[in-house]
Amino acid sequence: MRLPEVERGDSFGSRLLIRLISTVSGMRLPDAARVAFYHKKFGGELSSWTQAAMRGSSSWTIGERELMAAMVARWNSCNFCIGAHRAIAMKQLPDATVEATLKDYRAAPIGSGLQATLVFLEKLTLHPRELTSEDAQAVFQAGVSRDALTDAVAVASIFNMITRYADALDFAIPSTQEFDRAGDMLLKRGYASR
Amino acid sequence: MKSRLKPDHRALAESLRMRTLEGPGETEPALRKAVAACAAGEDGPGDATGQSPYYALARQIGEAAFRTTDAQVAEVVEATGSEKGGFEIILTAAVGAGLVRWQCGLRAVEGATDASA
Repeated sequence: MRLPEVERGDSFGSRLLIRLISTVSGMRLPDAARVAFYHKKFGGELSSWTQAAMRGSSSWTIGERELMAAMVARWNSCNFCIGAHRAIAMKQLPDATVEATLKDYRAAPIGSGLQATLVFLEKLTLHPRELTSEDAQAVFQAGVSRDALTDAVAVASIFNMITRYADALDFAIPSTQEFDRAGDMLLKRGYASR
Repeated sequence: MKSRLKPDHRALAESLRMRTLEGPGETEPALRKAVAACAAGEDGPGDATGQSPYYALARQIGEAAFRTTDAQVAEVVEATGSEKGGFEIILTAAVGAGLVRWQCGLRAVEGATDASA
């Protein structure tokens, strides 16, 4: 973590909360949660959109949305977010499906709609200005609705933000077991911190 | 935490843009707008020279955040005068890079014909 104030908390309340959660959970509170507790008046809108996109109503399951987040993290080389969202996806989808998708989503045993959507999201992440209506059309032809693709675009856009600040701030990488336990917390409590 | 309502992504994206780029903070909104534009790959003040630590960090976050260095962040914290200011610049750059993807993705979706609709 490159900003010590984020790591320790910027108020008595947040410092107490960080210590309490770390003690109760038996692990260091991940940096993603510390960011959510920091300078709350500034970052609250991103938490709200993240919660809505990841846990709000959608034709995508929570597992599929977490897998999309993990894929954006892979395309952006963000090791913290790969680990975090891989762990949550694995609580909702078969481990082998998640691993195969992260390895090569074009050959993974996932539905054609999700596969076509990932093609779109990869271009959105790596070459956003090259996206055309033909790219969206190809996803529609795989049976994905306009609403569903819009939901997926929201998920990918949000994780194009989160992966960037995670790496810019140099989030500490938890162990596999810690990612697993943090995943339980995120499934239970969601992303809203405010 | 339950949140099962259909999200209004357009409104949520606009709220995020308004708060991050135009709302109050330790740093000036004009600076944040320029940082967001730079991270989004658009030309902005100082973009041509890259001499400002703000734009150097914004460009790094936009192009390859995983290559960000301690020195790049330290220079921005020093320039803003506080860690909160540095945090605002980092978050704003990330938001700028994400919002340009939201706009490009949405434009492609809205321009296509949905045969299932």
